[in-house]
Amino acid sequence: MDQARRRTALLVSLWTGLIALLLYLPILCGALASLSKGRYFGFPVRAFSTEWWERTFASIEIGMIVENSLLVAALVTLLSVVFAFFGALAFARYDWKGRRLFQKLVLLPIFFPQPVLGLALLLWFSALGIQTSWMTAVFAHLVWIVPVVTLIIAIQVYGFDPALEEAARDLGASRWQVLREVTLPLLWPGIWSGALFAFLLSWGNFPLSLYTAGADSTVPKWLYSKMVAGYTPMVPALGTMSTLVAAAALLLGGLVMLLLRRRSAA
Amino acid sequence: MPTTDKPNLPILQLVGVRKTFGDFVAVETLDLDVMEGEFLTIVGPSGSGKTTLLRMLAGMEAPSAGDISLRGVRINEMPPEKRPTCMVFQSLALFPHKSVGENIEFPLKMRGVPAKARKARALELMGVVRLPESYYAKNVMKCSGGERQRVALARALAYDPDVLFFDEPLSAIDYKLKKVLEKELKDLHRETGKTFVYITHSLEEAMVMSDRIGVMRSGRLVQVGTPEEIYAKPVDRFVSEFMGEVNVIAVERAAGVEDWTGVDVPGRFTLAPCQEIADAATAYVVVRPEYLRVLGEGAGADNALEGVIYNEYALGSRIQYQVRVGEKVMLVELSRAQALHAAPGQRVRLGWDARDAIAVRN
Amino acid sequence: MVSLSVSDRATDTATKPAGAPRLPFRLSPGARAALPLLGLLAVGFLAPLLAILAFSFAPPRSFAVLRAFSLANYAELFSLSNTVWLSFLWSIGFALATVVLLALIAYPIAFGLTFVFGRWSGLVSVLFVFPLFVSENVRLYGWVLFFIKNGVLDGSLKALGFSGGPQVLYTSGMILAGMVYTYLPFMLFPMTLGLAMVPRDLIDAARDLGAGRWQIWREVEVPLAMPGILIGTLLTFVLAIGAVAEAKILGGQSVIVISHDIEIAFTYSQNWPLGSALAVLVTLFIGTLTLLALQRLDLDRLLGRR
Repeated sequence: MDQARRRTALLVSLWTGLIALLLYLPILCGALASLSKGRYFGFPVRAFSTEWWERTFASIEIGMIVENSLLVAALVTLLSVVFAFFGALAFARYDWKGRRLFQKLVLLPIFFPQPVLGLALLLWFSALGIQTSWMTAVFAHLVWIVPVVTLIIAIQVYGFDPALEEAARDLGASRWQVLREVTLPLLWPGIWSGALFAFLLSWGNFPLSLYTAGADSTVPKWLYSKMVAGYTPMVPALGTMSTLVAAAALLLGGLVMLLLRRRSAA
Repeated sequence: MPTTDKPNLPILQLVGVRKTFGDFVAVETLDLDVMEGEFLTIVGPSGSGKTTLLRMLAGMEAPSAGDISLRGVRINEMPPEKRPTCMVFQSLALFPHKSVGENIEFPLKMRGVPAKARKARALELMGVVRLPESYYAKNVMKCSGGERQRVALARALAYDPDVLFFDEPLSAIDYKLKKVLEKELKDLHRETGKTFVYITHSLEEAMVMSDRIGVMRSGRLVQVGTPEEIYAKPVDRFVSEFMGEVNVIAVERAAGVEDWTGVDVPGRFTLAPCQEIADAATAYVVVRPEYLRVLGEGAGADNALEGVIYNEYALGSRIQYQVRVGEKVMLVELSRAQALHAAPGQRVRLGWDARDAIAVRN
Repeated sequence: MVSLSVSDRATDTATKPAGAPRLPFRLSPGARAALPLLGLLAVGFLAPLLAILAFSFAPPRSFAVLRAFSLANYAELFSLSNTVWLSFLWSIGFALATVVLLALIAYPIAFGLTFVFGRWSGLVSVLFVFPLFVSENVRLYGWVLFFIKNGVLDGSLKALGFSGGPQVLYTSGMILAGMVYTYLPFMLFPMTLGLAMVPRDLIDAARDLGAGRWQIWREVEVPLAMPGILIGTLLTFVLAIGAVAEAKILGGQSVIVISHDIEIAFTYSQNWPLGSALAVLVTLFIGTLTLLALQRLDLDRLLGRR
């Protein structure tokens, strides 16, 4: 409305645009490198080619790694939603004695550097005599991702009126029926966005996988090993593909969210 | 637009003011004068545009069309901090991280008043709004609802604005305290001599405090007048129904000037002659429940209806009866002394005199 | 069995007639719901931390955990000749600088998300969340491609006739930039959450009472958004303390940060007790900070806005 406010809005928008651009600049650089012809990256790109994409697609090794990553992410998604759903109820829905302490405890893994957590878990697995593999990586991911998902679902739970559950019980629903008919449908949007986050965070996770996946590799772990060993255009190619997978998952998840919201609004 | 003849001048003038948000018309083109020193209340249901109107006056929204002037100077784009006006918000908007004293001193601090002078002024204002001095350092979130109202009031008065705006500040207060605060607010208005513009959805609240009332409905200012004018001569059915529980009967012209036929109840009615419906074919008759009488054997009235008692409610000193007349339910209010001691289902005759009813346009 | 004959709640006897299994003691529904997550955290978070604590007291370069007690690892860390202190200082320095830069960078965006972008804020949020889902090494590697010799910057400048881009890769400044880049969302979103807690009315009121833009910011916005700003600060600080990928990829190992030291002890030099002692120090440092800060926060209000 007045000039000062309009100027603030303009400056804020420009700043946000600039930072967003910087945020995506390296991702674009990667995409550019993956589409360049030739073994070594040089700019301006002299010739484009899809050669490296094709070779990445054709690689059996990479196929296995992608499978690993998907398997880990899928399992993490499934398990973390179950843990986090109940965790969120304890976090936000029920008033119980240990709640405040519990809330802080849930936050601790989020406020903990993942490389250190990964190394501590590595040591813990060895002390227990457990061979590290993709399964231990799933466990490691859970330790960090479940608290995040718990927070996401908890935000939805805060907006949930507990009187609805009481009303349902009063109207003759059993505990299970209350869960199925009232609690779950109302919390769906939160659960769904929690699941989306779980999948995406696991898919892109590097520090935990690096130390806890043992001989098994995931996409970020493989990329890192190649980055250190020496450049091949397959690194940006697979990196860009992995980014696209995440974008597709986010888009799909967003669409489902939109549908869910529309249904609950109708 | 009827306005009372007051000798003083308008402090705020709205000419052809209109406000739209995209396609939505929040306030339809209107003219309004706010007089120096008056207590003007804008009443309307939620969504009637009264808050938008107030926000334009306070400078938080700019009108889409028309002009707002302050003592003759156009102030459309003047931001709120530059206007000699202050708003008391519905939420009160007290700063939760500041004490009572700090809240009251806020506008003074913003203007660079030294701490000592600020404190003196804050304590003086706390006296004006009847807050004990010991509250100065108290956290504002620890105050009760009524106390918070007083803090908000003191804060609004702190830098001595000419006009105070109120955005339904009493809406979340319980009935008894509300009655006390309404009267205090009116006292404060008289004592300070400032112009108050108040908005509320409660006409009852408006009646108690205001010099003039403006009634708004879906973005339009339908009527402006003194409380007596609004009560006695509502311009239409909406304004009359806004006043509280009333009986409204739809009628159409039968023969003469005063002779009408009921549309939703059977019968012929005599209406007092009035300008509003002089040449209308249809109209509404508004009869307040306290003007409806129960006619005993042989008693008469200008108009009468027959019905069946359906329900009775005790309203403290009065008793209200619901009487079914055909499909319609009429409300009758009697004092306890006149109570009918009648069981539901009993037939009664209701009547009223032409001069006790108001005829309004369709 | 007197205790069993008295039900803790009247409704229980009504809804659960005879035959329902009864435990000698009953957990509240909240505690029961918390149980799975508590179990996970006990096994996956607290136990590993206890394990490193136990290992840190084992004799150096041994795996004799809990069989021998030794303070030698700590003694080694605290000896001045050890370069670990340097790593720790680097990490703290990077973390402090990251927090300050991020606060400055993220505030205008958080402000925009809360007060300016309106119905676009959802989309803008997604734009800023998404990079979280791309592995940090992929994103950091993108910067390498940008800054490297004959990379995007260098190549463009040369094509334009300049002598080429600055050699910023493998410097400490680049590591800092990488951390700022990686942890932006962790500052931005808590900050936005905090700003969203500032009622619009209060800003209008402050303005109406004569406060200018700067005064509103200082007197109303920042104090009321403080819980969110605090969480963002803490989160980015803690994550930056433990960051290692930035130093490895963008720093080219020119600077060794603390997590890198731990990793070296755990992997190349196979000195678990020393690595554990280091990890214990880091954990203590981070844990104390986190617990102190969380003590002062009301999470219900921050997340639930009630």
